[in-house]
Formats: sequence, C-alpha cells, structure tokens
Amino acid sequence: MEVQFLYSLITGFFIGGVAGYLGSLMITKRMALVGDALGHVALPGVALALIYGFSVSLGAFPVLILGIILIWLFEMRTKLPMEALTGIVFTASVAIAFLLLPESQVSIALIGDISQVGFLDTLVSVILCIVTWLVLKKIFSKIILANLSENLAKVEHIKVEKYNFIYLTCIAIVVALGIKVTGSLLMGAMVITPAAAARNFARNLSQYSYGALVIGSLSCALGILAFKLSALPAGPLIILVATFLFLVSLIFKKLT
Amino acid sequence: MKNNLILEVRNLNVELGGEKILEDLSFDLGNKEILVILGPNGAGKSVLLRTLLGLHSFTGQIQWQENVHIAYVPESFDVSPGLPLSVKEFFQFKKTDSQKIIKSLQCVGIMGFSKFLEKRLGTLSSGQLRRALIAWALVDKPDVILLDEPMVGIDIHGRETIYDSLVKFWQKKNQTIILVSHEIGEVCKKANKVLALNKRKLFYGKPKEIITPQNLAKIYGSTISV
Repeated sequence: MEVQFLYSLITGFFIGGVAGYLGSLMITKRMALVGDALGHVALPGVALALIYGFSVSLGAFPVLILGIILIWLFEMRTKLPMEALTGIVFTASVAIAFLLLPESQVSIALIGDISQVGFLDTLVSVILCIVTWLVLKKIFSKIILANLSENLAKVEHIKVEKYNFIYLTCIAIVVALGIKVTGSLLMGAMVITPAAAARNFARNLSQYSYGALVIGSLSCALGILAFKLSALPAGPLIILVATFLFLVSLIFKKLT
Repeated sequence: MKNNLILEVRNLNVELGGEKILEDLSFDLGNKEILVILGPNGAGKSVLLRTLLGLHSFTGQIQWQENVHIAYVPESFDVSPGLPLSVKEFFQFKKTDSQKIIKSLQCVGIMGFSKFLEKRLGTLSSGQLRRALIAWALVDKPDVILLDEPMVGIDIHGRETIYDSLVKFWQKKNQTIILVSHEIGEVCKKANKVLALNKRKLFYGKPKEIITPQNLAKIYGSTISV
C-alpha cells in the first residue's frame, strides 16, 4: 500500500469519527444544519489556502472563528433570528470566495481533496481529532443536561455559557478539519448523516454517540477505499457511503 | 445568620421584564424544616424558588448556610421521546452508583429497577418522569431540596407514597424541604411552616395557624374547604 494513500485513509478515519461524535450532540441541540452553514462560511479561508498553497484547515479555522463572532455580534445588535444572520454571513462568504478562487481550484474547495495530505498534515489532524474528541467526551453530558433544562444544569453548578463556548469552538475545529476531507459543500453531511443513522438504532446515549463515531469513521474509510479503486473524487464517495449506512439504519428503526 | 438556620431571606424584591414579581419578602428556614409555599397562579411561587437557586437577579438578601448542597425539581421538564437517553444515563450525569440510584428510586415508589433504568427518559409517562426527576434530585443526598409542583401528573395513591417516602427520607437524612404546591390538605399537615404568597407575603407561620377557611379565601380569592 502506498504511504500517500495510508495518510489519506488515517486522516479521513479520524476526522470522520470525531465529526460523527460531534454530530450526535448537534442533532440533539437541533443544530444539524450549522455544520453545513459553517462549511460555507469557511470558504474564503479555503480559497486563500488553495491560492497560497497551505493547509485548507489552517485557512478555514480563522475565517470560521471570525464568522461565528460576526453572527454573534449581529445577533446582539439586531435580535434577528440566528438562522437569518447565519444565512447572510454564509452567502457573503461564498460570494467573497468565488471572487478569489481560480476556476481550477473550485472543485477542491467545494468537495474536498484528501488524496494529497502529507505526513505533517496527517499527524496534526490526528492529534487535533483526539484532543477535540476528549474535550467533547468531557462536556457531552453537561451539554445534554443543559439542553434538557438549563435551570437544572445551573443548579448542578454547570457553567452553561462556558460549555457552550467550548462546544462552539469544537464545532469550528471539526468543520475546519472536515472541509479538508469532503469540502465546503459536503462538510455538513459528515456531522449530520452518521449521527442520524446512529439515532435510528441507538437505545441509549452511548450507543448513539459511539455509533455515530463508528459510522463516521467507517464512511470515510470505505469512501476513501472506493476512491482508490474507482478514481472518482473521495468527498462525494464518503458522503454516499454515509447515506447508504443511513438507509441501512432505517431497518432498525422499526425494531426499537 | 443564626446557627440553626439554613436559609435567611430579607426584603427580597424580584423584577422580571419590568414587572414586579416579588415584593419585600422576608422569611427564614431552620435545618430539617419543611416549608410549603402556597398561592394562586401567577403569585410568584416558581420565581421565588428560582431566585433562591440563584437563577434570577434580585435585590435584598438571600443567605444560605455555607456549603449547602441544594437540589431542585423544576415545574416543567420535557424530554423528546426521540432522544436516546436512558434513565440510567440520566442518573449517571450526577456521577452516582447503581446502589444509590436504586435507593432513591425506592423513595419515590418505583419498583422493577433494571427494566426502568434501561427505558428511554423521553418515553416515560408524565407521572413516571416526575418520580424519576424527584429521585434524581434525591440521589446525591442534598441538604435542601426545592420542589416546584412535584406532584403534577401523579395519581393520588402515588402522591401519598411519594410524600410519605419524602418525609421518611427527610427524617432519616436530615433534609430541609421547600415545596411549592397547590394542594392544601395532605402536604401542609407535614410542613413546619407555610408561606402564603401573592407577590407579597400574605401569611407565614405554622400550618395550623395559617390553613383556615378565612385565610384560604384571602389567598385564593374564594371559599375553599380543606
């Protein structure tokens, strides 16, 4: 097996897993489409990274943080619904990105390209995935309890705002990582589809979150294998594998 | 604060959205006492509980005994049936072990633990969910427990079981209880103090002195018999 292919496989496997795990929290908090919207918000950073030849995730992350701060500031200022403001920020981001992006790079920005990751990129991604997953694991039950009843969580001395901030930062990191694998356009599916599939068969929270993690990792690994065999782009293949696993999970839905 | 007091409230005022909800409220609570808060809808009973818990801003003084461990049973608590959260996992949010979970479930009259613990929280009936919520509050042995209309959705037989076990629990574990309730009969007999409220303090004292037909008419605005 080629080393390059192994790097792609490892990177995808870890990012897919942490994205799935995060997705189980995001669906519970009814924030499933946030991943999708943020994928688009990151596009100007992705464009700059592609033009100047540095890591796509590195370009995406600061733009994501800037986008989240902007949405938050607009919300404080206008009290308009968050989704409307997110819509404004993400379409503006797409517009800016398309002015910057050379035509040859458009498809990489939109559907990702995992085939060229190097050793350092793989190593950094794996470490970031593990750290983010550990953080999410630590805050998981607190976020779920705060989502059930914020008052109850506060009485239990859970600092809800602090945990929400950590949670949002984790989303920004995972979206930045995911864009490398499936691009801006498809990133949303990496958090939604595995978690939705897991929810169809999960009887409890750990089956749900770890189910999503396993399905996320599996989708990426199988998608990248299919890319190797077919020479079709990896991003769409990963998402289609995840969608197929979601369809399979429907069989379990009736039984639980 | 006096030694035997667990809570002292002086001149408490709470405003929410420009509206005065509580005005100049003062009362106190000793260790191991049960306080029942009565009042019509909109009297500010739930706001009072949440203010005591530090969830609303206020003027005046609320002083709890140092390092007191408080538990809370909120009035409304909805769980989506689709959320794959088992009863056991809900209890494990509190880092507790199975023995303690089973004990606190016994307190609220739930039997058949193993099956109950595997159930999804969102699929419990409203009565079962209330019981689970009370048990959840009890599980890490709080010094004080604040309950907001805890018996909503629980049948009469169930109420007796729960109140009886709560009182037993209280006697054994030295718990202080603050209870918001609409029920005047069974509950108040077990209380040490009753606070009748309608934005301001209407009556405050021993149940025997407070729960009279004349007072109840003043509290609720019509004649009510016990």
